[in-house]
Amino acid sequence: MFNNFNVRTFIRAAAWGPVILFFVEHGFSIGSIQGRSMQPTFNPDSNKLRRDIVLLNRWIAVTHDYARGDVVTLYAPDDPDRVITKRIIALEGDTVFTTLPYPDKHVKIPKGHCWVEGDDVFHSKDSNEYGPIPLALINAKVSYILWPFSRFSKVERVESSRVSVFKED
Amino acid sequence: MEVTMCIGPSMLPTFNMIGDIVVLEHFSPKLKRLEIGDVVVCISPTNPWRAVCKRILGMPGDRICIDPTVINRKYIIVPRGHVWLQGDNMSNSTDSRSYGPVPYALIRGRVFARLWPQTCWIKNGMIPLQDE
Repeated sequence: MFNNFNVRTFIRAAAWGPVILFFVEHGFSIGSIQGRSMQPTFNPDSNKLRRDIVLLNRWIAVTHDYARGDVVTLYAPDDPDRVITKRIIALEGDTVFTTLPYPDKHVKIPKGHCWVEGDDVFHSKDSNEYGPIPLALINAKVSYILWPFSRFSKVERVESSRVSVFKED
Repeated sequence: MEVTMCIGPSMLPTFNMIGDIVVLEHFSPKLKRLEIGDVVVCISPTNPWRAVCKRILGMPGDRICIDPTVINRKYIIVPRGHVWLQGDNMSNSTDSRSYGPVPYALIRGRVFARLWPQTCWIKNGMIPLQDE
């Protein structure tokens, strides 16, 4: 049976399955972004029902090596089935000046947490509603816009001015 | 399925302090089959590198007393998509009482058996009280 050429090619191809699965789960994968909370970075034209396709760097969820201004995808804290895309505004130890739905004027980010917000402040459900978010909820970093091809580019790191950054002495 | 080690005093009557080897299954968190009383392993909200082993004591919508030993008792309603976790050894455990309700997405798996020492099943410890 194993002498059959087709069977041998199939087994050889199937052996690559776990490798590919590991790469997609922990290396790089492709995702599409829905909704307007990250305008104008993603989906700038909300009239057309078009979704941006992006490259996700999943290795970052293994190393937990985040920086202020990175765009990340994370599990929504109030719904484990939904994955949302937001920008990291502040990391642990920083002080953030919040906007309206949040009850306090400013907040110090506790250990192991971060503060995420959408780029479009008016159409985004973010940390101003949830509060600081555990870093372990983050599952990938958005590194490139792949489609539409006219906007093919690296996703830039943009730091917010509403943060006072914690400095270690 | 996953085999992992659980160290520390926070689950003391159920697991000992030196370390227990336990078996997790990932199906019940994925299928939303978790109930009050299940022992789960979840990623610590204060440190993404660490996993902690706790018992679920509250599901979304439950009203929970944070600490019954103090005079001014505080109550909290567990928000949507969160669970309330506490260790079995309440006097020596860092759990939801210090970091609040934990998002459901942080739960890794349900502990269903112990391999070493004393191989046994870990059952849901909840005993329903009968109304009179």
